[in-house]
Amino acid sequence: MGFRHTLMGAALFIFLFYVGLILSLFYFIGGKGFWNAWVNPYTLYSIRLSLVAATISTFLAILIALPSAYALSRFEFTGKNIIDTILEIPMILSPIALGAAFLIFFNTPMGKLIQEKGIYFVFEIPGVILAQFATVAGLATRLMKASLDEISPRYEAVARSLGSSPWKTFYRITLPLSYKGLLASGILSWAKAVGEFGATVTLAGAMPGKTETMPIAIFSALASANIEKAVILIFILLLIGIGTLYSVRLIGKGYRYD
Amino acid sequence: MIKIEGLTIRLKTFELSDFDLAIEKGEFHFLLGPTGSGKTLILESIVGLHRPRKGKIWIDGKEVQGLPPEKREVSYVPQDLALFPHLNVWENIIYGIKARGLPLKDYESYIGDLISITKIEALLERYPARLSGGEKKRVALLRALASKPKLLILDEPLTGLDPSIKFEIQQLLKTLHSSFQPTILCVSHDFEEAYLLADRITVFIDGKVQQVGTKEEIFLKPSSNKVAQFLGWKNLYPVSSVAKDSDQRRWLLSVNGLLFSVPMTPDRREGEKWNLFIRPEEVMILREGKPVKESLKRNIFEGEIVDFMDRGRYHLVRFQSQGGNLLFEIHIPNYAFRNLDLWKGKKVRVALREESFWIIRH
Repeated sequence: MGFRHTLMGAALFIFLFYVGLILSLFYFIGGKGFWNAWVNPYTLYSIRLSLVAATISTFLAILIALPSAYALSRFEFTGKNIIDTILEIPMILSPIALGAAFLIFFNTPMGKLIQEKGIYFVFEIPGVILAQFATVAGLATRLMKASLDEISPRYEAVARSLGSSPWKTFYRITLPLSYKGLLASGILSWAKAVGEFGATVTLAGAMPGKTETMPIAIFSALASANIEKAVILIFILLLIGIGTLYSVRLIGKGYRYD
Repeated sequence: MIKIEGLTIRLKTFELSDFDLAIEKGEFHFLLGPTGSGKTLILESIVGLHRPRKGKIWIDGKEVQGLPPEKREVSYVPQDLALFPHLNVWENIIYGIKARGLPLKDYESYIGDLISITKIEALLERYPARLSGGEKKRVALLRALASKPKLLILDEPLTGLDPSIKFEIQQLLKTLHSSFQPTILCVSHDFEEAYLLADRITVFIDGKVQQVGTKEEIFLKPSSNKVAQFLGWKNLYPVSSVAKDSDQRRWLLSVNGLLFSVPMTPDRREGEKWNLFIRPEEVMILREGKPVKESLKRNIFEGEIVDFMDRGRYHLVRFQSQGGNLLFEIHIPNYAFRNLDLWKGKKVRVALREESFWIIRH
């Protein structure tokens, strides 16, 4: 077998590995238990909670990630490298450790004060949003910075020299030129938020009908041997994943300004 | 008028100190220097992209070094042009007018004139991705001029262009300057470019202004070896001794044992260390049997042709004086080369006119 065929064989193996895994799920489709799991209010709740919480947490993450990414991409300032490194912590730290760190924080006097005078996070829906936010904010900043890095600062320099203020330049030049990358970053961050498990379960718990998101519901369903419910939720997550990747590809396709 | 005094900028990898520059209103000024000498940094500081540590910049009497770029009225055409790819040509052109909140109708006839001079009438709806290199340059120039800036800054506007497009853009720059008289500061490393376009030139080498003057002054009277070498001067020789001629009106310069007679000038004194330049295009190869003018008789040397080369627009001839003391380059027009019937090893006499020399202090 030649070099080329060996490598292509490896690619085919990976493809079949994942496809086989997905196909195996179909073994549990159908039957009474399957349809019962579909209409179970807790299942529907976990789907709704996941989608709504992920949308809110991604929105909040973008709100802070976009200006941060712009600052990191364009300006030189003291501590820039430290911030850049800290952004990677949620990517390399175990999500459970991240969730545990939050739990510990909310047991400090400051954390207690926030909960008493502001919002309750521990074992509450805001905890779900906070855990997802913490996981995706760093990622969103990283992805958006990469998109902004691709836009030459020269465009902004010229726009400024032509009389455009920094805000106007961002709105009329930077944003239109980088919106594809920024949109893709947002979608990927949202998908990551939907799939978040470790930090959420540690901080917000696994209460059905309250803080149980889809990934947590899959874990609970398996724990109680409810395979059908787990399969349904895995399919939904798969659909979201495929939809995400497909839309990111669509965004990246074609050049608009011809 | 643009004036810069004591401009000092420090970046991570580069430092510029005490830079001065003055540009008259309506002047086409070239900042000329080798690649990597920090010229672009100076331009970007005038645009307002770098905050100087020290120094002042005045534009029409207004101090601007503390102002952001959008308040300076300095338009900038970078080397890569940076045409906004998401805006069509027309939108690119009027960007500055809209950004400054100026009434477009006040500029319509002026922009119309610019469009007809730059010949881009048919391109207004196109996006930059569908323009050729020359078209992009024209649009970028027009965009920069459209809002009538107080200073137009061009960064290497002719670098990387095909010869035909280069010529076209050169002509366009000339026409735009003569038609609208904008004040222009242009950075370049190419003396030929500067010679064709500039009213005045600042030569900037090794982080220092070496010489400021008209193109003729810079080319014919470089102030230092650095300037001369940057301009591509080849025939540069250290003078070993200087003596006064018997009539006390001329210097006799000894270079490798050969004596050159040059007019005495009040700003030069005995005892200084000098270099002698021989301008390759001012040296005459004498035809046998033809009478020689009196003014040429002072500097006639015998020797032989060592080598020659067709350089397209002229012929480069290497001449070695008798005894091998001195080797210098001569540039002669192609027709003269053919008439002279030269070959390697041919014995010839060359005459150097007064204009053939330039003396530079060490």
